[in-house]
Amino acid sequence: MKRRSPSSEPPRLAAWIVPLFTPAELSEAILGDLHEEYLQLRLKAGGKAASRWYNRHALQTIVKVAASGFRGAPLSTTIAVVGGFLLLRFVHALPDKFLLAITDRYLMFWSGHFQTYLWVLRALPIEYFLGSVLVGFVVALAAKGREMIVTLTLGFILCAMAVAASVWIVAITGDTSFLWNVPLHFTDPLAIVIGGAVVRRHRSVGRLVASA
Amino acid sequence: MTDRDYLGEFEHIVILALLRLTDRAYGVTVRREIESRTKRDVSIGAVYATLDRLEKKGYVKSWRGEPTPERGGRAKRFFGVTAAGIAAANRTQQAFESMVEGLDLIGSYS
Repeated sequence: MKRRSPSSEPPRLAAWIVPLFTPAELSEAILGDLHEEYLQLRLKAGGKAASRWYNRHALQTIVKVAASGFRGAPLSTTIAVVGGFLLLRFVHALPDKFLLAITDRYLMFWSGHFQTYLWVLRALPIEYFLGSVLVGFVVALAAKGREMIVTLTLGFILCAMAVAASVWIVAITGDTSFLWNVPLHFTDPLAIVIGGAVVRRHRSVGRLVASA
Repeated sequence: MTDRDYLGEFEHIVILALLRLTDRAYGVTVRREIESRTKRDVSIGAVYATLDRLEKKGYVKSWRGEPTPERGGRAKRFFGVTAAGIAAANRTQQAFESMVEGLDLIGSYS
């Protein structure tokens, strides 16, 4: 079987990300246009220049279409973001309450109680992560057509809050070690965006299958 | 949309490009038409964001073409201007011309 040259295909990451942000009914046309211009530019200016052009236009497309999507429905987008934030607070409070209540009530007199308690504590970051993915799912399902705008906005807000809180703590205590924990706080926003991307991808595939 | 709605500058340019291209208007040709005539750098995203907005306003209609190999097997989406779109373009053009009328733009204000 004859194998195609890798450079004949546009940058994969950009081609993967664009449909996450563009309306499902336009994704195919936008990707096709980018592909068509990429191939023509590759013949004229070479693979590197064509890849640079593709990445630049893919990024511009994401920014323009995402901004247009927000301007088209600012109220529902804001409600989805605020709702997602409140849902996240609720979901994150559940694992400690639920699991600690169980260990305290039913395992108090069991000799392995303390070990179980430690396991619950160790598992909390995983539970938070899964809870954040779930919030990403729910928010993306509610914000049909603007899944990535809503989940990314929520993610950016959480990142900004984590950075602001860490800087504030460092300013008060003078202990700069808090800054090393900042990247850890980015896992929840990342989980939310992953949840949004999964829902968006699933919807895009469904739409493509339906239109074929 | 009411009959008093005017087009934004880029919306106006996009509709004029669609009218020029007639049945050949899709993302790539619209972008190139605007770039070659206005000498400004236009992204595909800007074109599609505007086309999507115009379609929601009822000024533009679109239909799916056939998938082609040079597009990675993806179909084109062709665009055309509706009667409401032509009316909006005329209204915007008349408003613009009436504002310019009587002004010697280059001579007086350069």
